[in-house]
Amino acid sequence: MHNFKKILLAMGIVVVCFLILMAADFVLYPCTFMRSDIHAISTTTYDDVFVGTSHGKMNIDPETMEEVDGRTGHNLCVGGEYPVDILYMLELMIETGHAPKRVVYEVSPGYFVREKEVGNNYLLFYHEFPISVTKFDYFRATLLKCDFRTLLFPWYEYDISYELSHAQETLAKKIAKDYSEEGFATEKQKYYASGFIERYPVDPSSFEDDEVEEWFPEDIVEKNMQDLSDIIRLCKENDIDFVAITTPLPDQTLEESGEGNEALNNYYSDFFKDTQVPYINFNYNEYYDMTEHEIECYTDLDGHMNGDAARDFSGVLADVLQKLP
Amino acid sequence: MSLISNAFILFVVAAVCCYYLAPMKIRWVVLLAFSYVYYLAGGVRYLFFILYSTIVVYLFGLAIDHLQKKNASLKTQKRVITIGIVASFLMLGIVKYLGFFTDLLNTVFDTKIPGMTVLFPLGISFYTFQSVGYLLDVYWKKAEAEKNFFRFALFISFFPQLVQGPIGNYNRLAPQLITPHKFSSEAICRGLMRIIWGYAKKMIIADWAGVFVDAIWGDPDRYNGIVLFGLIFYGIQLYADFSGGIDVVIGIGNLFGIRMDENFRQPYLATSMADFWKRWHITLGEWMMNYVFYPITLSGWMTRFSGWSRKVFGKKTGRVVPIALADFIVFFLVGIWHGASWKYVVYGLVNGGIIAFSELMGNRYRSLRKTLHITGKETWFHIFQIVRTYIIVNLRWFYDRSDTVAEGNYLVKQAFSHFDCSQLFDIAAGRGGTAFVPTALLIITVGCIVMVAVGILKERGTDLYQKITALPVPLTVATYMILLLLIGTFGSTAVLKGFIYAQF
Repeated sequence: MHNFKKILLAMGIVVVCFLILMAADFVLYPCTFMRSDIHAISTTTYDDVFVGTSHGKMNIDPETMEEVDGRTGHNLCVGGEYPVDILYMLELMIETGHAPKRVVYEVSPGYFVREKEVGNNYLLFYHEFPISVTKFDYFRATLLKCDFRTLLFPWYEYDISYELSHAQETLAKKIAKDYSEEGFATEKQKYYASGFIERYPVDPSSFEDDEVEEWFPEDIVEKNMQDLSDIIRLCKENDIDFVAITTPLPDQTLEESGEGNEALNNYYSDFFKDTQVPYINFNYNEYYDMTEHEIECYTDLDGHMNGDAARDFSGVLADVLQKLP
Repeated sequence: MSLISNAFILFVVAAVCCYYLAPMKIRWVVLLAFSYVYYLAGGVRYLFFILYSTIVVYLFGLAIDHLQKKNASLKTQKRVITIGIVASFLMLGIVKYLGFFTDLLNTVFDTKIPGMTVLFPLGISFYTFQSVGYLLDVYWKKAEAEKNFFRFALFISFFPQLVQGPIGNYNRLAPQLITPHKFSSEAICRGLMRIIWGYAKKMIIADWAGVFVDAIWGDPDRYNGIVLFGLIFYGIQLYADFSGGIDVVIGIGNLFGIRMDENFRQPYLATSMADFWKRWHITLGEWMMNYVFYPITLSGWMTRFSGWSRKVFGKKTGRVVPIALADFIVFFLVGIWHGASWKYVVYGLVNGGIIAFSELMGNRYRSLRKTLHITGKETWFHIFQIVRTYIIVNLRWFYDRSDTVAEGNYLVKQAFSHFDCSQLFDIAAGRGGTAFVPTALLIITVGCIVMVAVGILKERGTDLYQKITALPVPLTVATYMILLLLIGTFGSTAVLKGFIYAQF
């Protein structure tokens, strides 16, 4: 009897601790746009899902594309999204029964030349995954090696002052199960329910030259290519079409990083040819002239477009994808 | 597997559960199995190194024991122990110092001997010293040679201490590892408290201080006005990081009912450099004292040197010179234990030099105190000694943190030729950037005040862990939760780095 009481007490303590941590997480972990994005792809089936980096997020507008090709789509790209994250988000879509008909992968070379740092925004994705086998798999593949705060207090990723100032809003959104884009807009950009972020135009004279980085195929990290191959394999196994694209860059950037960019274009062209999936790089060959490369269309030298240019590009992208065999 | 990773936490939980669920007789086998799983998680290729140390030292331990029982001549025993020690240090020498000596030879003799990239296995410095300590204890008949290979393997590989020590003493640690411990809620609570406190020191204090240290050392020209701040922050970071890690390690030991040796005793409250080394990395200091200092001072050549010294320097000074020389040798070894680099040689020599100088000046110092009517019991004098030692200790960190001696020299120059506090606010403090600097500085300050307060209480004999675990259960749990939530709320948001001493 004495032992039973002790066990009961210990269990009670564990439950109370767990509840405190859950409550802190509920109040403090802010509602990110990834929460809305992952909710969207795990509850709705789209024709197209766009994955990739911030270039994809700011340059691809699924609504504009739908007007052209009539296909529904969601933009799941985000800065810091590596192939490993995409692999598990795709698995999540398949597990929840919302696999898209096509995956459009925005290939940004910078994300292939470095390995994702331990702790680098894995939580942005993991935290929003619904309870599922994929969530467990993603934890095992990524968060297991991260520090224990990711598990106990995911809100540590944000400043406490930010969390507290947004606590009321966070609480209201979570209680109401509100996944809308409301509250995400800033003075520099606007969020859309389709996952697209519209950046407002920026004066090109403010761009700094040192923004341009140049990479070469020999810098590519094998692990990222392995994850990319796994994504393609998963798509094939589940009858999902896969298309890889690279979004347009400003002429100045192409000029400054020309050698590396061209070598990478050749590398990816060969890779995707070998894996038998289409690859469209809007900076080379016949695709170059289809889009704008003037500096005025961009918000930085890195290649993030302003809203109007992004919509124009999205129209072209829809058209090009439609014509694919 | 980093001590702060989710994987490690889950691993410890699994180890504790298996340990207490296993029958009493095989509990030590569970520890051994988990220790090897932990080691293998770092890479199968490292297995060879720990097996080498274990097998070599085990066999030499048995050989010495056998020779002693057969009353073999001292000369034979000495020969065997010498080969045993050389064989034990051989692997450490190859992985840690081969590259350094190759570079040295190439520089001095202008040769082109190719360097070797050798794997650096987890915890090799710690377990090599621990195993050599055992060997010498057997040789000096302070310990019985372990006959069971697997029990001996557990002593070498016990997983919590593999990464950063403490360097365990065989007689104190081995029996505890083998003895089956009954589940004790008190030991568990004590262990948990110690672990959480260790994590708090590491993640709140050390990692925030580290943000400033990394920025200053990363670009000393840009931050030349705050190098002194960088030095103070490094002293804070190093202590909170290393002692925090040791708290975690000792806490995990407590979860299995094992009490490991303490490695720190409020080092920044030391009143002299000699006192500092009795409080900082205690197990390394004790190892050096037992296995290097005493053997040197009692050796034949030192006795002859002592006689010569008394003749040359007179009775008083001549008596101190051999001790100063032994100190100098010990700290030179402490320096190179940290790594194969000139900066560690300088670091060791500076430490040895200061302590040797203190020994040599001891008589004059005592006379001066007498002249000034200082008895040594005055509070102001005690504080003066602490502050003086703190300054000396911190000045040495220049060479410890810098990559090269030249960089250390450069930073010393910068520290005393420029001063501009405002540069502190140009450093990006984690995800909050420069805007978060005031908050980060406040967190470090409050953290240090708490750490010093806990240290003073300990120094006065108050065992806080005991007090907290003696509280009613809800209050104990509330204390854990508050500390945990503080880690989540005020822990560093910069990219987290592992424990500093894990690299040794």
